[in-house]
Amino acid sequence: MDRNQITKWLKAPAKMANKYSLHAIYFCTGCGIIEVPPVITARWDAERFGVIPVATPRQANLFLITGYVSVKTLRAIIRTYEQMPEPKYTVGFGSCPINGGMYWDSYNTIKHLDKYIPIDGWIAGCMPRPEAIFIAVTHLWTLIDKEMANGYMRYKKNYKSYRRNQEMLLGKLEWPPLYPVSDEPRGNEQ
Amino acid sequence: MNKSLREKLESTFKDIRVTVLEENRIAVTAESHGVLAVLRFLKDAGFDHLALLSAVDWIEDNCFELCFILTCYMQSDDEVTGRQRLHIILKTKIPRGKPQFETITRIFPNAEPYEREIYELFGIKFEGHKRLTPLFLERNYDIPPFRKDFDTRKYVEEVFDKIPFVESKDK
Repeated sequence: MDRNQITKWLKAPAKMANKYSLHAIYFCTGCGIIEVPPVITARWDAERFGVIPVATPRQANLFLITGYVSVKTLRAIIRTYEQMPEPKYTVGFGSCPINGGMYWDSYNTIKHLDKYIPIDGWIAGCMPRPEAIFIAVTHLWTLIDKEMANGYMRYKKNYKSYRRNQEMLLGKLEWPPLYPVSDEPRGNEQ
Repeated sequence: MNKSLREKLESTFKDIRVTVLEENRIAVTAESHGVLAVLRFLKDAGFDHLALLSAVDWIEDNCFELCFILTCYMQSDDEVTGRQRLHIILKTKIPRGKPQFETITRIFPNAEPYEREIYELFGIKFEGHKRLTPLFLERNYDIPPFRKDFDTRKYVEEVFDKIPFVESKDK
């Protein structure tokens, strides 16, 4: 163990343990998922960095959104994100979740993913190399250290705006709000 | 095979045009009312696999073009004799003002998802199709989005760009 980190471990052991065991939900959107199998298997072996894929969102705390997000996928992404236990971190992988990328004028892909769910970090590129995932993971460690990977807190704080944006695009959502949306009229109807 | 099939097609149907594109690829252009007969004829001639059904929007000519790509399962690529699988591209044009066509699911049942897709993305209605329900899209579009007069940039400005950012970008 790194001696410099002993104070960090003593100060916030839960945070440090959390930081070095990122469980990535194996959620495939778009073309970027083609980079993930070599990353998690023998060639690049993400377990060196403590990243391991898990099957269900209930066990995950890292959400890699790999590639373009169509409107139909966004529905699944929001549901997956809301099911993950806190603390949870989201990373947009590739240029498409950032600003649409090459699908900037497409009729059915969303352009800015951070309008709908909070994002802690971006990996730019089309496609990013698998090494970029590890750079992102090390950056995420720094952000967790500095308490800047606080997407889940921002989601709670701005939930009303996020929910409004989601409803603007997807219409009426069939699942109840994750956090109370108090002064909205349709919350009272249900 | 190639030559005799061409002669057979041209002798059976009057208003079709057969072009040999390559050695193993021929294109057949037919009138829209005669397509089903040509398809039945080709299926009986051994072309039992509908590989693709797609549409093209020729907006300058004011018509849609339907493309049926037929091939057969049994006649495979043969390295020894050099015989190759024959592909037939059957094309037909339908007017843009009246986007209707008869379903071919009675001849090729696997055309069902293709027809649903074309109905959704081009707005071509297939009469007699049992289940013309939405396949991919979730929202309603004024113009089906694969038509050439669908302005994707305007649509993006109206739908996606109208949604505001939750947090400020310059952070």
